[in-house]
Amino acid sequence: MALDAVFRDQWGRVLATLAGILGDIELAEDAAAEAFAIAAERWPRDGEPANPAGWLITTARNRAIDQLRRRQVLAAKTTLLAQDLEAGPPSPDSFTGDDAAIPDERLELIFTCCHPALALEAQVALTLRTLGGLSTEEIALALLVPFETMSKRLTRAKHKIRDAVIPFAVPPDHQLPDRLAAVLAVVYLIFNQGWGGGRAVLAAEAIHLGRALADLMPDEPEVLALLALMLLHDARKAARLPDGRIVPLDDQDRDLWDTRQIDEGRALLQQAMTRRRTGPYLLQAAIADLHLYQPRDWPQIAALYETLARQTGSPIVEMNRAIAVAEIDGPDAGLVILDRLDLDHYRYFHSTRASLLRRAGRHSEAHHAYRRALDLAQTEPEQRFLQDRLAETLAELPDVGGSGA
Amino acid sequence: MQYALLAYAPPEDTDRATRPIPDAIAALVDRPNVTAWARLHAEESATTLRNNAGQTLMTDGPFIDSKEYLVGLFLIEADNLDRALGIAQELLQETRPGTAIEVRPVLDGRSHGT
Repeated sequence: MALDAVFRDQWGRVLATLAGILGDIELAEDAAAEAFAIAAERWPRDGEPANPAGWLITTARNRAIDQLRRRQVLAAKTTLLAQDLEAGPPSPDSFTGDDAAIPDERLELIFTCCHPALALEAQVALTLRTLGGLSTEEIALALLVPFETMSKRLTRAKHKIRDAVIPFAVPPDHQLPDRLAAVLAVVYLIFNQGWGGGRAVLAAEAIHLGRALADLMPDEPEVLALLALMLLHDARKAARLPDGRIVPLDDQDRDLWDTRQIDEGRALLQQAMTRRRTGPYLLQAAIADLHLYQPRDWPQIAALYETLARQTGSPIVEMNRAIAVAEIDGPDAGLVILDRLDLDHYRYFHSTRASLLRRAGRHSEAHHAYRRALDLAQTEPEQRFLQDRLAETLAELPDVGGSGA
Repeated sequence: MQYALLAYAPPEDTDRATRPIPDAIAALVDRPNVTAWARLHAEESATTLRNNAGQTLMTDGPFIDSKEYLVGLFLIEADNLDRALGIAQELLQETRPGTAIEVRPVLDGRSHGT
């Protein structure tokens, strides 16, 4: 496994454990960053340790002790650290236990990061940073805010958690439903960040978090539905990005779809549907499932998007409904819906619009819309996909002064 | 961990000073986790001093001129923010509609028992 992938994989786990020990996310983050930097220097030379997570946690904890010693506030910190200080810090290479010996505290961390005393935008950013392992810059890009703003937002959130003592814990039963809605929104955003950009590690991270949530709350239909939704999308990843190029669903090689994952997603969807509550994730999972059948049942898909749009009031859902409507009633019907939406900042809005314009024979407008989508595209697979479309629409443009269309 | 609860309420028709503290609130503030509390006179009684580049400016009235006024404050002891919010929520349920309670962690301070 490439070092980068190992780091991305371990970051959330390591940080969660450190936050549990230190009771301070910022300190945990600093210590984790130091440990990862040391690993980047040593592992290529000395070889990867038998237990990377254990090595990183032990190293980071030792760095945190140094840090606290310098600050001379050790007395205020946990007894665990104090004991380490007396006995002398353990060597990371002596860590022989397996992963199961390290408590997985990512759920505690995610509920802390998604605490309602933090602004929603801070919750999203913090979870992406602490559990998703995204850099501040990547989060700023994903959420369309300037780097400086994002940096301040993260710092402020971490300070509030520390100063106001937002508990590092899974909330009690009576608070769980409310607290869960925010967590699910954040997990799905992480998934979409991985999916849209073709970053499988992030999508896998979101699915991993989704599984942990499903284990913890097996009676919550929206938790099961979110996991189903992510699995059904993710099952197509090999066919969707075969060589770093995005392939639209209708052109995908269905033999590359992960049928085991589709089966699992469908089973979860069935399980969620027996609870007789129709939340937004259940609707989206049902839509994702419908997209896997050939031919696609567009009227049913459009109807579900309509229900979802009523429930969420989201213009992005309306945009997706427009795609389904275009399949039923033609591209002009879809464009009528799109023209009502205020999504100028959203790259998929422009690529969706471009595709419908092209089908409607409005090639010059289509070309312009693909150009706009390309300006907003953030990842290479998306850029390549849009460059291809841009070239095609350029060839379709009528010659100036020609016969005219 | 100590938290300060700052209670803001809309203007009222009756004179605060002649109205007794509601029983439910009196019971809540008698609990041991409330280490200090103060009920404030109406905002008309407020005087504000402001440090203006070393010069003191005095004005009549509260510092923040808003629809709600600071009517009281509590110092409470709680393990974490969730507990503090729980206590604030109990208090809030006994207040008039439109009341807001701001919860702030205390950095340091002292309160004498009464």
